[in-house]
Amino acid sequence: MGIEVRGLTKVFEGGRRRARRSVEAVRDISFTVEPGERVAYIGPNGAGKSTSIKILTGILHPTRGEARVLGVVPWEERRRLAGRIGTLFGQRSQLWLELTPRQSFRMLAAIYGLDRARERTRVGELAELLDAGDLFDTPVRSLSLGQRMRCELAACMVHEPEVLFLDEPTIGLDLLAKQRFRELLVRLNAERRTTIFLTSHDVADIEHVARRVIVINHGSVIYDDEVQAMRRSLLATKVVEVGLGHPAEPIAMCGVAVVEHSATAMKLVVDTAPPRSVPSSTPCSKVRRRSTSRWWTRRSSR
Amino acid sequence: MRGLLATMGNAFAEARANRAALGSQMAVMVLNDVVWVVFWVLFFRRVGSVGGWDARRILLLLAVLTTAGGITLGLLANARRIGTMAVEGELDAVLTLPVAPLPYLLLRRVEPTNLGDLLFGVCLFVLSGRPTLGRTAVFVGVVLASATLITGFLVLTGSLAFFLGRSEGGDLGFHAIVLLGSYPVDVFAGVAKVLLYSVVPAAFVSTVPATLIDSFDAGRAAALAAVAGAFGLAGWATFTAGLRRYTSGSLWTRA
Repeated sequence: MGIEVRGLTKVFEGGRRRARRSVEAVRDISFTVEPGERVAYIGPNGAGKSTSIKILTGILHPTRGEARVLGVVPWEERRRLAGRIGTLFGQRSQLWLELTPRQSFRMLAAIYGLDRARERTRVGELAELLDAGDLFDTPVRSLSLGQRMRCELAACMVHEPEVLFLDEPTIGLDLLAKQRFRELLVRLNAERRTTIFLTSHDVADIEHVARRVIVINHGSVIYDDEVQAMRRSLLATKVVEVGLGHPAEPIAMCGVAVVEHSATAMKLVVDTAPPRSVPSSTPCSKVRRRSTSRWWTRRSSR
Repeated sequence: MRGLLATMGNAFAEARANRAALGSQMAVMVLNDVVWVVFWVLFFRRVGSVGGWDARRILLLLAVLTTAGGITLGLLANARRIGTMAVEGELDAVLTLPVAPLPYLLLRRVEPTNLGDLLFGVCLFVLSGRPTLGRTAVFVGVVLASATLITGFLVLTGSLAFFLGRSEGGDLGFHAIVLLGSYPVDVFAGVAKVLLYSVVPAAFVSTVPATLIDSFDAGRAAALAAVAGAFGLAGWATFTAGLRRYTSGSLWTRA
């Protein structure tokens, strides 16, 4: 079993003695993740995603419930588990700012018990995999955010983890860097069967990296299904803003609704999940469409 | 162990990364300590001795304090920041590594400014402490005990942040132990003196070690070792218990 969670609950106590208040960040969540799965764990801000990941990596102790990662209870055997998992937090760095990534890797390799020969081989493999050999000898302070995130990924992969926990790993990256990062994760999973457990607010991360999605809100799991299924039911529309060189008539296409229209711009809501097995010649009025949700619409513009 | 040595190596490499700043910071701290020495020498020239303490003994006390303080605040620089790190959620990165978190955190950062204290303390002992082989051996022993005590006390007061949710305890602990340790405890009396031998063990940081160098006493040395060990253990136990209450955070931090 990769990850097994049953009835996990985390309550944070806060405030002063007279005004003590508790916040239930994670409430009775249960799910399992098989080895080699690519799972997106998503939800709005404050839903409990990061808290769940921190419990599963042994950083936080839960208030109630059970969890096993690779057969290990994270908060009871944190050090043992840490040697088998990799953790990448978009807001936490494992790299030393004034040093080169290679110096950080050397320290991490020593911590993970890799000898120098194995460390050199492993760093060489990662340089090739991440196409980042030239970055490894540049001080971290001088790297761009995208370059640094590639090196962060290398840092959490030095010891060949069986499970990768990624908490908003693409935060702050530009479009190209994000795309490259996603491809890397898919490749890692394909080549090494590394289990990927990812949180992100970027729908593209979920669509490109994950096969399965777990949605959490107010601390509880509210959706757990294949990404394809979610795409059909929740990601069925995209908002497209079109800049016009000259005034134009509203677009009249099946599955496209014009919601704003001026002389210089047009805003369209495009249904991206047209029903299958319907001939393209079928009149739009005769095509039945699913209801769509605005919650997960992705905005793109040009 | 290899991991901790590698961590310490990186901490030194990071401190050395800006050599000019390293040199200037150390020099400023040495200058600051020299001003203290000049002050005490002028003071005791004018008043003779106070409570059995003269300029020579005060310089020995300063040598112990700056060397021990330099070890803790220079080589184990995060000792002073445990409370802040706990409250601001800076422990996440270390908790994802297969290491004992406290030793890793302590070795993770070298503070160049306080290395100036360490350098100054050793030089002061060599120049004014009448260093014979025996006195030097006692100096090394008591300095290590004093550094253990300061580290344990700072970790203990800093770790209270896990329980109180505020990091001021660490700052108060730092100011209490270092400021009170810079005076011979014999100038205090009554309850204050009792407190300096117990709750805020500043007496064991400088006064007792300096006295041991001048007149070694096995019983007093054992007491120093016991107090240092007790505060070291108390610091470790409080930190370990506090980790269960660690709540992390969402600030941008680094390991």
